[in-house]
Amino acid sequence: MSLVQLLFYLMAFIAVASALFVAATKNLVRSIFMFFVTLFALAGLYVLALADFVAITQVVIYVGGILVLILFAFMLSGKETLNAVGELKRKFININKLPAIILAGLFLAVLITVIFRIDADNLAWIKKAQFTKNVILPTSATTENIGVNLMTRYLLPFEAVSVLLMVALIGAAHLSRKEGSSL
Amino acid sequence: MNFYITYFIIAIGLFGFSALFALFGVYAERKVSAFIQDRLGPTETGKFGSLQTFADILKMLQKELITPAAADKLLFILAPAIIFIAVYLGFAALPWGPGLAPARLNLGLYYIFAVLSIETLGILMAGWGSNNKYSILGAMRSAAQIISYEVPAGFAIISVVMIAQTLNLQDISAQQGILSTEEVKFAGFWDVSSIGGLFAWNVFRAPHLLIAFVIYFIASLAESNRAPFDIPEAESELVAGFHTEYTGLRFALVFLAEYSMMFLVSMIGVILFLGAWNTPLPNIGPLHLAGWTTGAGWGIVWITIKTLALVGVQMWIRWTLPRFRVDQLMNLCWKVLTPLAFLCMLVSGIWRVFLM
Repeated sequence: MSLVQLLFYLMAFIAVASALFVAATKNLVRSIFMFFVTLFALAGLYVLALADFVAITQVVIYVGGILVLILFAFMLSGKETLNAVGELKRKFININKLPAIILAGLFLAVLITVIFRIDADNLAWIKKAQFTKNVILPTSATTENIGVNLMTRYLLPFEAVSVLLMVALIGAAHLSRKEGSSL
Repeated sequence: MNFYITYFIIAIGLFGFSALFALFGVYAERKVSAFIQDRLGPTETGKFGSLQTFADILKMLQKELITPAAADKLLFILAPAIIFIAVYLGFAALPWGPGLAPARLNLGLYYIFAVLSIETLGILMAGWGSNNKYSILGAMRSAAQIISYEVPAGFAIISVVMIAQTLNLQDISAQQGILSTEEVKFAGFWDVSSIGGLFAWNVFRAPHLLIAFVIYFIASLAESNRAPFDIPEAESELVAGFHTEYTGLRFALVFLAEYSMMFLVSMIGVILFLGAWNTPLPNIGPLHLAGWTTGAGWGIVWITIKTLALVGVQMWIRWTLPRFRVDQLMNLCWKVLTPLAFLCMLVSGIWRVFLM
């Protein structure tokens, strides 16, 4: 087994195990801190896939932004609220969990069909890319490529996402406004 | 296998350096504060009190590691390590001289920016794990402050990247001196590619970067929780903020992280704005001052001098200015620094397209 494979299995194991811990533990704050480990392992997997820019973006946005915001919400809500959340009914089969179970089951079905129906070693577009030498090497810089593609080929989705974020921002600003103070 | 051994030696060397710098930094801070407040500072231990910090660290190593009974033990113990490792990881990508960098990443700057944001998580972990109201207040103040000030710092950095057109710290450094492979112009009109020195630094290549540098410097003070932005550990309100409950070696680790952070943000500032490892002396006619003082050894000397000078300014500011209130802090960040940083970014774009 090569070093890359070893690293892949190590990080995959860390990601899966920590994600299981996040889902299973009763201590919500610890589960958030464990989520940090999951995200880091995922960033490691991105690096192995030569997507270094995506890996670092993952750390900046999820660890530096979203995770800290979640923690913020937790710390502002106080221990009593957290304990109340922790003492929800702990039965394994529960009518409240039905939507989640259905969703997870459907997703599993999709994943399994994909794994069985795809022939990952002989995909046509990968063969073609290898043939035309249209591949990313460990030494090549990916940032320019991402920037150029975002501004040309994927401009419309990019702009649509930014409008969506803008809408979310305005909505948040409106919601956090005090009722009837200045209006 | 040899290069693995080199990696380990470099990693240990960087750790040793940050530890030594923290020892020196604490001593310098005491002497600087003493000078500013017209006192003498430490004088008893060693000549001019120079062994004072060694005595302090010896004392700290012997102290008991107290874990509060109601603390979340795992988070409490892990937090100082995460705070320090976040800063220490940043050192991996910093260039020290031409061809001298622990890791030559082509995303170096972005990597450092990402790694530094992990420190917030460690601080929140310390605050929550201690189960102490002062700690949690300090941690939340710290997180709010760091997240807010990442915005102007980020835009100031982007305005440099737009001029430099690369995220590789070694390339950004090389562009600011006589080793540059492209044309360097002082303030957009005078070609100084072969003159180098002071004139080729980023702040003089594009003068609006001087404003970006000031924005970055203010934001970096906030990110390393230094006065006047030290509300996370405001002694008069919060005992010691997020590290109230820490003792002995864990407390030392938090301090080590703070001083390493000071050095790291200053060094990034020097690399981005003040010519990195390039000499400040220009070539004047037959006097090839820049040519004589450029090289690996000189690089380390110059970057260390410049960084220590910036650290000195940080200390000077800490002992001169009073602490900001929370609302003043947020006003400064969102109403002054962020719009100015946006403006710098806009000017950078225009500068790059029309003047370079």
